[in-house]
Amino acid sequence: MSTPTTEQDTTAPAQATPTGQDAAPAEDTTAVRETLTAFLEQRTKTAVAADVDLFSTGLVTSLFAMELLVHVEQSFGVQVGGSDLTLDNFRSVDAMTALVLRLRGGGDE
Amino acid sequence: MNEPTPVSTARAEAEQLATELIGDRADGWDLAGELPLDVLRELGGKGMLCAQVPAAYGGLGLSSAENGELTAHVGALCSSVRSVMTSQGMAAWTVERLGSDEQKAVHLRELTSGRLAGVAFSEPGAGSDLGAMTTTIRVEGDTVVLDGRKSWITVAAYADLLVVFGRHGSGAGAVVVPTDTPGVTVERVPAPLGCRAAGHADVTFDDVRLPADRLLGGAGLPVDWLVTSALTFGRVSVAWGCVGILRACLRAAASHAATRQQFGVPLAAHQLVARHLAELHVAHEASAGCCERASRGWDENSPELVVSAVTAKHLAAGHAARGAAAAVQVLASAGAHDGGPVARAYRDAKLMEIIEGSNEISQLLLGKHALGVWS
Ligand SMILES: Cc1cc2nc3c(=O)[nH]c(=O)nc-3n(C[C@H](O)[C@H](O)[C@H](O)COP(=O)(O)OP(=O)(O)OC[C@H]3O[C@@H](n4cnc5c(N)ncnc54)[C@H](O)[C@@H]3O)c2cc1C
Repeated sequence: MSTPTTEQDTTAPAQATPTGQDAAPAEDTTAVRETLTAFLEQRTKTAVAADVDLFSTGLVTSLFAMELLVHVEQSFGVQVGGSDLTLDNFRSVDAMTALVLRLRGGGDE
Repeated sequence: MNEPTPVSTARAEAEQLATELIGDRADGWDLAGELPLDVLRELGGKGMLCAQVPAAYGGLGLSSAENGELTAHVGALCSSVRSVMTSQGMAAWTVERLGSDEQKAVHLRELTSGRLAGVAFSEPGAGSDLGAMTTTIRVEGDTVVLDGRKSWITVAAYADLLVVFGRHGSGAGAVVVPTDTPGVTVERVPAPLGCRAAGHADVTFDDVRLPADRLLGGAGLPVDWLVTSALTFGRVSVAWGCVGILRACLRAAASHAATRQQFGVPLAAHQLVARHLAELHVAHEASAGCCERASRGWDENSPELVVSAVTAKHLAAGHAARGAAAAVQVLASAGAHDGGPVARAYRDAKLMEIIEGSNEISQLLLGKHALGVWS
């Protein structure tokens, strides 16, 4: 899996115009991360660091896993289909942030 | 007439077709334990058995709210046909959720063109505890190999395809299995208590070999995660089906109570009988409201839908089971003919407290949720 920063640095500027958002990549990353963290903290009533493993810490139950998936799709207007449905993509706030940025920038419907 | 939206037209036509095809035949189907295959194929070919599939794949593209009303309409006529809708809808949703573009193009087309499908989670040793599944799905080069045994699979006796969940790697996976593949054996469950004509069967998979592209995406995810999505669809569908059961019960109980005379007055004039009608009314309103909320969550793709689906299913199943018992009480001997609407409702509704997360499993999930939100 590519790291969020390198992938975002190269793809985001070219993709910024179609969505009408000219946010710089770094700000974009921060905004996604903050939205995800807020949702997780509200639902788990726990402070959630961006790199904490959500599964090994038991923060994510079976129902909550699906809520998280739906939240990612709804909040960021992306569809997480077939091959993107991996545990690694949802393992932490950082991983989900990378996924969102990749799906937004990727251009395939 | 004010002009209905195109989608509403689709729903209205679907409801009309269901009324025509099912009519008053459900009693006989229940007694025979068999649905006519031509009826299922016709409903399926019109896209009605999985009506939320987008038009791009040949579906009716109904919203969850509209499909819910359609499900309740069918559920009021025949819970066995409604069970087929729930299963086929779950199969389609699983493909839509987990499948690649190619898999969606192939399988969703099949499911909207008259082919029939069920979904297999349960096993002899894995009912409530799906983590105990022992069915295995393994990839050997360009082949996917399936071994195991599934129990009580709705529609399996009629199905062309089954979406089968099993262990895969360190987690779980789902495969689309044509039932005519060598190694697949379908054995009908004899004499089910309810939804008798829904084609429940036990299915054995013995070294079943399929092209690797039959394995859906998400393979390797924990079993809980993989099945929650399909079950969430199933819960919303079952809940709406229970709304249908309550409507059938209200219709039967209210018309009987209005006409049958005892002690010189209609039964409804006896307050203890009227109370049954009042409680049935409340049960229907509460269940429908909860279902509408879950469907709204589905249509808005809001995270709340996951818990709303469990809530709606749990509430509606309990109301349907108690409501059906009350309806039998109001009709008394007139409702005691096996196969009749309230007798079917009584048996069918009880099973709704068992499937898609039993009462107890729903309570465990909701208890955990309540603790998280309110503590
Ligand atoms: C009509 C019908 C249709 C079905 N269709 C399908 C289908 O299409 N596909 C499919 O995969 N399966 C299907 N099933 C199987 C169904 O999913 C299971 O019956 C259900 O999950 C319950 O499992 P079980 O019957 O093994 O009961 P068990 O798991 O053995 O449970 C027995 C009882 O113990 C309770 N219990 C279990 N664990 C706990 C716990 N931790 N705490 C408290 N109570 C607990 C249960 O709630 C239940 O009351 C169908 C079943 C029926 C009856």
